[in-house]
Amino acid sequence: MDRLQIKKVWVDRKVESRPLTRQILERLGGCHVEVVDSLEGVLRAIRLASDPVGESKKNLYLTEQLSFIRPCPCSPGCVSCGYWNIDLDLNCPFDCSYCVLQSYLNYQPLTVAINRDGLERELEEFFQKKGRIPIRIGTGELADSLGLDSITSNAIFLTELFRGKEGVWLELKSKSARIQPLLEVKPPANVILSWSLNPQAVIDSEEKGTASLKERLEAAAAAFKHGYQVGFHFDPIIHYPGWKEEYSQVIVSIFKIIPAEAIAWISLGSLRFPHRLKLLARFRFPESMIYEHEFIRSPEGKYRYPRPLRLYLYEEISQIFSDYGAADKLYLCMESAEVWQAFMQKIKRGRRFIAFPFPWLS
Amino acid sequence: MKFKTVKISEIDRQDHRFRFNLKPVDERILTGVKEAGVVQPLLVILREGRLILVDGWRRLEAALSCHMEELPVFELESRMGDLGAFQLAFFINYTQHRFSLAEKALAARRFLEFNLPAEEIIERILPLLELPPLKKTLEILLEISSLDGKSIEMIHRKDWKQATAELWLRFLPEERNWMLRLIERLTHNQQHELVETFYSVKKLTGVGPEIIVREKGLDRITGSLRKGESAAFDRLLAELRKITSPLRSRLSEEISEKIKELKLPLKVQVDYDPTLEKPGLKISFEARSAGQLEEIIKSLSENFSLNNWDSIFQLLNYRGD
Ligand code: SF4
Repeated sequence: MDRLQIKKVWVDRKVESRPLTRQILERLGGCHVEVVDSLEGVLRAIRLASDPVGESKKNLYLTEQLSFIRPCPCSPGCVSCGYWNIDLDLNCPFDCSYCVLQSYLNYQPLTVAINRDGLERELEEFFQKKGRIPIRIGTGELADSLGLDSITSNAIFLTELFRGKEGVWLELKSKSARIQPLLEVKPPANVILSWSLNPQAVIDSEEKGTASLKERLEAAAAAFKHGYQVGFHFDPIIHYPGWKEEYSQVIVSIFKIIPAEAIAWISLGSLRFPHRLKLLARFRFPESMIYEHEFIRSPEGKYRYPRPLRLYLYEEISQIFSDYGAADKLYLCMESAEVWQAFMQKIKRGRRFIAFPFPWLS
Repeated sequence: MKFKTVKISEIDRQDHRFRFNLKPVDERILTGVKEAGVVQPLLVILREGRLILVDGWRRLEAALSCHMEELPVFELESRMGDLGAFQLAFFINYTQHRFSLAEKALAARRFLEFNLPAEEIIERILPLLELPPLKKTLEILLEISSLDGKSIEMIHRKDWKQATAELWLRFLPEERNWMLRLIERLTHNQQHELVETFYSVKKLTGVGPEIIVREKGLDRITGSLRKGESAAFDRLLAELRKITSPLRSRLSEEISEKIKELKLPLKVQVDYDPTLEKPGLKISFEARSAGQLEEIIKSLSENFSLNNWDSIFQLLNYRGD
């Protein structure tokens, strides 16, 4: 089971006396705490460590966030799924070899926005302005939605903010299995608990500090039993000898415990990363082989598996989902129009679903 | 600081403790010294009764090759510490040259050897060197500075970026030695490409560059590359990519083969996206008269009966690993 390993807590003077700050410090017990006037001092400590990315994951910074909600930028040249992000935490205590945050966040420590009342106000406005298009929104882009939940209780906070809101789906996406608090409240119909899944061999080699596959699936089963809708993300799908059998076993295990109807959505995305990440992570994870796989440099500058391989991965996996009657829950994450079109043809869904692949939410 | 003229023989030329500038004496300096002598005095300091050069290696070398016997110098106060003297040399050079990665590495090592605290190097010196102020960067620079002379010289001469040097550090000394001879005539970009490909090959196969070249029978290509035949670079890379990019290598080879078999008129060109991201073909041709145009279109339509077109599209739309 994943466990938090915080070395030091840095408290922005502006939030020193806020109740959430007190609550977090209490929960962390005897951790070394320093009050600072800016992020600079924290970054300095991180930069002076031999592994600044690893160090950033052991330092917690409690501060204020200026704004919280923004549309997901997707990737240039890719078909967007219209997702929205809430940036409540930044960075993640887990350490996945392929995680883009390693290069994206510039050594930002684990950061918690203490002024989450500001999010409440921003959301009110967001709900009013959102129009009639169904909205999917989540906290899992710049953080793991439950990675710091044992100290922030943000999951419950968000769940209550979204309860009863029509046409908006909140997604809490995680590689953690710590969902106990969410099992103690009545599940709102529009809160989706979702897990990123990979075969255990990939979790062992590439997803340091995360919950095991079994733990994630057990958590998903508990969420479903409690009445939540769940989601799954096969992202990144990693290609390696024996991948088909192992991914297929993962999918089989899902349907042993969760019926297709309880699944809100399933995303598929293959391994991809920007050049900067390759420079950094290749040497942070010397044992990992993923950076030596076969890639092309796509027009937006990212490394991706070649299209014939990506389509093969998606089609083989979607075939297994089809066997369980769940192919219509699938969508692709950060993929080109070419690949989307070929994929949609294969799973026999019309082109019109490319722009919004979740007709069942409308 | 005292100005004086000293005999070259009085300067201890074996003591390189302050040296980090790797630029060789160039024509400009040589001509200047030949015509006007050494105008800008060298910087020296007295240590254990010997004059040690702090700055001015290139002027000294130019003076030697012009058979000069005396030189103007500024002699620093001998109570000035090595760190102070080196800082002076560093900042004089800093305003005059852009440092290569190898020079940055040597400068960082000197600072550390002269007891400038690591934190100060990271926070004050690295930004001056346009490098991120990270301990990790300093560690990499120190590793680079401990490489053998030939590697340092290559990193300097070809103006390597940190990414290439980091890969280079992952090879064993004997592997680096072997590769040095192979890549010395290439441009930095080509060197990077080859070093990175060898790195991947080594990780995928567990076998170093020299052995993989022998095992795959690529000795003739590497021989040509060492002789400076530029086409050998592409050939070697294509062969190594069969290991690092097997799917694309295989598909591209098959597609090219099928296109060749079509025996299209010389003026017709068939192109496809080498990354295979776009599954289409682009066919272009040049005609200079209606008659030529008709001829090309006719030959193309005759060609359509061949199965190859189908096979090409099948290959372009292939799914698999
Ligand atoms: S769990 Fe997600 S956010 Fe955390 S390290 Fe892994 S990929 Fe990154």
